[in-house]
Amino acid sequence: MNANNTLSSIRGQLPIIAVFAALVLVPPLFFDPSTTYLSRRFITVMIFAIFAMALNIIFGETDQLILFMGGIAAVGTYTTVLTAEYFAVSPWLTLFVGAFVAGVFGGLVCYVAARRQFTVIVLAIVTFAFQMIIMEVIVGLRDITGGTTGIPFRDLELPAVESLTGLGPFAVQFYVLVGVFAVVFALYTWLTNSKYGLAFAAIRQDEFAARATGIDVIRLKVFAGFISTFIIGFVGPFYAQTTGIVIPGLFSFNGVDVLVLIILVLGGLRSRLGPLVGAAIVIYLDNLLSQFGQWRTVAFGLLLTVLFIYFQDGILPMAKSLYEERGLRDRLTGLRSGE
Amino acid sequence: MLAQGLELLIDGLARGVILSLFGLGITLVFGLGEILNLLLGVFAVISVIACSMLLGTLPGLALAGLVAVALVAVALVALLALVLDRTVISLVYREEGEDRILLGIFVTLGLSLLFEGLLFIYYPGSVFLDVGVPSITVAGASLTGSSIAVIAAAAVLFGLIYYFFNHTYLGIGTRTVIQDETGAMLCGIPPRRVQAIVFVLSAAIAGVAGVFYALEAEVTPASSFSLTSFAIMVSIVGGVDSISGTVAAGIVLGIIMTVAGALFGSYLSTVTLFAAAIAVLVYKPEQIS
Repeated sequence: MNANNTLSSIRGQLPIIAVFAALVLVPPLFFDPSTTYLSRRFITVMIFAIFAMALNIIFGETDQLILFMGGIAAVGTYTTVLTAEYFAVSPWLTLFVGAFVAGVFGGLVCYVAARRQFTVIVLAIVTFAFQMIIMEVIVGLRDITGGTTGIPFRDLELPAVESLTGLGPFAVQFYVLVGVFAVVFALYTWLTNSKYGLAFAAIRQDEFAARATGIDVIRLKVFAGFISTFIIGFVGPFYAQTTGIVIPGLFSFNGVDVLVLIILVLGGLRSRLGPLVGAAIVIYLDNLLSQFGQWRTVAFGLLLTVLFIYFQDGILPMAKSLYEERGLRDRLTGLRSGE
Repeated sequence: MLAQGLELLIDGLARGVILSLFGLGITLVFGLGEILNLLLGVFAVISVIACSMLLGTLPGLALAGLVAVALVAVALVALLALVLDRTVISLVYREEGEDRILLGIFVTLGLSLLFEGLLFIYYPGSVFLDVGVPSITVAGASLTGSSIAVIAAAAVLFGLIYYFFNHTYLGIGTRTVIQDETGAMLCGIPPRRVQAIVFVLSAAIAGVAGVFYALEAEVTPASSFSLTSFAIMVSIVGGVDSISGTVAAGIVLGIIMTVAGALFGSYLSTVTLFAAAIAVLVYKPEQIS
């Protein structure tokens, strides 16, 4: 019985093992040292998958819609870069400072929101206003942030690892991001399977009932908010690394939040692999459409509208339910056993 | 000193009435139908571009010509709003409660990206409606001509809006739906039809506000998003379901923004607006929930 259980649990984990194995194989298969373009795209997929995973924790689990992911990533990035510059240390050290500042900021916003019992829309508007303020402040504080000219930044490299393993800088960066994704993935899996997941579900169902059963709703919402914004702030500097320059335009609402929302909805809210699938599709589309200039914006607008009206549940969960409901699974098992 | 104060006050007031109109555009649709219309700025930009194109085909028009052209442009925007309301927005109205609010945000966000992209493709330049209203000198202060024209035109418009909501059957019906959708239905007022009319009305108001805005500043397709966000902030400060509150908030914020801009630089004036909205939301979140 036990052996059977272990076997079926391993079988359940198979897609995840396959996905991570595929991710490990990406650099040797696709990274070409002569052109950095493709490598950068793969790195961007990982970055946006992690962003979407973070949104999954705060929005998917606790129903707190934040519209300042770009701003939070900017807070993390500017803190990391500026403190590294000020103390003349490596940004690898200040990465956690940036993430922590972003997390505390996000947690504080969630605390006020939970304390004052904001509805989804109020939190969405407050965070959207913060997004605008953060952008204005970064542009305005020209002497510190470099304004719209920005700060050149490429210091998140690991030359020692590169020479030790013989991998190129892009491959190393990709593996670092796969590592971060794996950690966030494990954290999310643990969160949803633990008592936290149960409490999150209770909050989503009925916040007042959850409170009545003794769940500390405020603490949980702040906890989810802190973790999400910590992750976003942590990944921000890697995002800046891909372009080699820290500029406010990188963290705009249209550049980050809109993409992450599309990715999450496309991949499926509260789905564990959804963010990765969504990011791969959206970044691929982005790549495909970039040659058509502004048609890219038109296409994304259309995609967002259609997705929300007709496919709110996401492509991955929808495909899964189609697979199960239409008896596809039975037919496939029948085929396998030769019936 | 006093002259400079008067100049600032007039410019602030002009900016204030423009902000009020944008805020009204959000308040009417959100207060009534719980849809946060992120398309509002797009309506404004389309109206400005239509205006400039019409002016381009009919050169040599004076101020009276601009009024006629602006009316045509606003009518075009209203038509577009009607088409959108009958098609996509109707799908949003089918949902209820929080689902409608969320779907409204995402659908109008998607549509605004779509239209912004199209505007960039077909009309990438910037528009500035220069009608050359001369400045007036009063007590040593040189008052911007366009500011005075905007204030005068907006005063007429506010009068019309006031009349509509207080003295016409449709206007009173609209206020009833804002108060209580179900109650209005029981009184025989069809909410969906009122919502459609108000959606079109809010687009027209945004169209007018856009033309006013373009008299004082350049408008590009990229402006649509910042105009929408300004509108949302003003609407929140005024209390999203209060028409008079929104008008007052717009005027006060316009003056504060202009003074803050003159004293501390333009970026802080924008920060002031957003900070005011955050402060109101933190202290009175129930206003919009």
